[in-house]
Amino acid sequence: MAKTYDYLFKLLLIGDSGVGKTSILFRFSEDAFNISFISTIGIDFKIRTIDLDGKKVKLQIWDTAGQERFRTITTAYYRGSMGIMLVYDVTNEKSFENIKNWIRNIEENASADVEKMILGNKCDLDSKRQVSKERGEQLAVEYQIKFVETSAKDSLNVEYAFYTLARDIKAKMEKKQEASNPPGARGGTHQLKSNDQQRKPPSWLSRCSIL
Amino acid sequence: MDDDLPTDFQVIVVGTGMVESIVAAACSRIGKNVLHLDSSDHYGGLWASYNFDGLQKFIKEVSEDPKRQEQVYNLSEKWYIEKDVSEEAEENKTDADPAKKIWSQTKFAAEYRKFNIDMTPKLLFSRGPLVELLISSNIARYAEFRCVTRVLTWLDDRLMPVPCSRADVFATDSVSILEKRQLMKMLTAIVGNTEEEMEQEFKDWNDKPFKDYLTHKGLTPNLIHYVLFAIAGGTDKMNCRDGVKESKKFLMSLGRYGNTPFLWPMYGSGELPQCFCRLCAVFGGVYCLNRPIDKVEHKVVDEGKSIVVIESKSKTLNCDHLVIGINECPKEMISPEPTESTDISKAVFVTNASIMPSEKEPLTLLRFPSLDGTDHAVTVLEVGPATGSCPKGLFVVYLITSKVTDAENDLMPYAQRIFDMNADQSETTEKPKCLWSVFYNVRDTSAPVASLVDNVHVCSGPDSGLDFDRAVEQAEQIFKKICPGEEFLPRAPDPEEIVFEDDAAPGPDFERTLEDEEEQKPEE
Repeated sequence: MAKTYDYLFKLLLIGDSGVGKTSILFRFSEDAFNISFISTIGIDFKIRTIDLDGKKVKLQIWDTAGQERFRTITTAYYRGSMGIMLVYDVTNEKSFENIKNWIRNIEENASADVEKMILGNKCDLDSKRQVSKERGEQLAVEYQIKFVETSAKDSLNVEYAFYTLARDIKAKMEKKQEASNPPGARGGTHQLKSNDQQRKPPSWLSRCSIL
Repeated sequence: MDDDLPTDFQVIVVGTGMVESIVAAACSRIGKNVLHLDSSDHYGGLWASYNFDGLQKFIKEVSEDPKRQEQVYNLSEKWYIEKDVSEEAEENKTDADPAKKIWSQTKFAAEYRKFNIDMTPKLLFSRGPLVELLISSNIARYAEFRCVTRVLTWLDDRLMPVPCSRADVFATDSVSILEKRQLMKMLTAIVGNTEEEMEQEFKDWNDKPFKDYLTHKGLTPNLIHYVLFAIAGGTDKMNCRDGVKESKKFLMSLGRYGNTPFLWPMYGSGELPQCFCRLCAVFGGVYCLNRPIDKVEHKVVDEGKSIVVIESKSKTLNCDHLVIGINECPKEMISPEPTESTDISKAVFVTNASIMPSEKEPLTLLRFPSLDGTDHAVTVLEVGPATGSCPKGLFVVYLITSKVTDAENDLMPYAQRIFDMNADQSETTEKPKCLWSVFYNVRDTSAPVASLVDNVHVCSGPDSGLDFDRAVEQAEQIFKKICPGEEFLPRAPDPEEIVFEDDAAPGPDFERTLEDEEEQKPEE
């Protein structure tokens, strides 16, 4: 089947419960913000294809499915991820302090060269702010990660954040390819699908018609 | 933080092993309110995969905690390499292949994250029940697989590839033309016959040894070996009914994904329970690890309704149904006592090359017939870096058999046949060098057990079988008891199929959905 994109990036959203990960996801993928979405279950990941320097980049953005609540994200969640948005809530000091723990968690479970970005969400709620922008910037400098304050509600910087992360991943990838590292180093794996042609009645003899 | 934990659930699942996780996913999927707990800090229980660091913790735990020793015992870990590599040794090998580095314990530790070592390594039959379930439930999107590239056997004191597809049969030069014809005829008979023909063919053979049937059919000793040990995975004593059933299962799974009937999960078998947990969470299941259970009680409340009450970290949790792993379940709730069964002997080896080098990185199933004429064949699985199991230049090899004396005695003779156990890494030898090993016995808790209470459902531990079929079967049975009449893991929708209120444009038609589904799989 013809691909409708040039690149596919798997991105993750990580951070404490209630910082607005799902809202960010919906703002970016659906351009919507609605409180009733938050409790919506059955959402795994959302897809949006963006245009980056003439290339179609398909972003597959995975939500934590609430498994962050008691620090029980599966190691499987991190597999194959290329970019991670670390999200805290500027009105919640604790969620900011926990960013360090989440970074440790990522170091333990994600690929070593995964691109990261820190988002200070809910920056529209200035009256309730507990974490200054400067502290967010400082933390980002400490870990050498990009940082931006966002508001999923007011649609502020959400697009910018995803475009920035995607651009960084793309740049890294192209650099690797130039260094003649075979891009398909992880080739040969199977994603099991329902509509593959092997669905026809199995026959040991049918093997011969394939070969 | 644990204080936020709600206290009332329809279903509480204790333990994140394979059976527990499938049941949790199935209940959550049809709308039950599920809490899933585990007493340890990671997923999987005895089905887990560990990185090298996690494995060291596990080994330490087993050697120190008597409760752990009820499940895992006779554990012995051994290094065959130095703690550090001397500079001299490093220099001597500069001309060699860079993948062939001189390994030390320190280098293992430095790359600990690249190891994913399974406690319960298992394969999937390409057309087996787990593959079908993963596809039909859409849980397949959480996992990736690699094909087992070859099936080997031990014949005439050496490793031999087993021709398993028709193409293999014709390509191999280890069997004569006449044998090829015999083998094809036999395999075709096993797969191609109708029920009636099967009945007719095997009616006098069912309880007799499969080997006698194969001999009766005039197969040469080589062919009998291939069919009996490698394809049917049997022993001399295997009866004909089982032999035909197992051979058929093997042959029916050919031709779907690769050259053998088997798939291996990327990053190890321990990923699979987690995939089911993810689905459970996506449908609202609450997850809490590090949560040991102190007490389980059965209560009848006012309206005559029966509930289960759990004490955990001085918190009381109530549920209509408790699903609990056998190792977590209070003994007095289990009925009847599990029957005496044969425990499992296991070993894991890390080596510096494949047991049989090949052009492309191999992924191997070796079915080792018993060396001493007993009824205990040994299953060997060898996985390499491409599966995410170990760093480049290494292989992880699992040996599994039924316990006779203890793991080391049971398995060492087999290990010595395929590895060089005296590892001087600087010299080149025919066999791969063993760099590290661990032997251990696991108590067999795979027999299904019931509980004294109707709404407590006990899940078995890992069995010694090659696949996950028994786990899937048991999970479905438990689910049907909890949710009679409900569908077991109906297909979970793809994200774009879920339409939201301010996005109420007509959804894609059915045909389109199928195409899109293909498109948006997280392929690499």
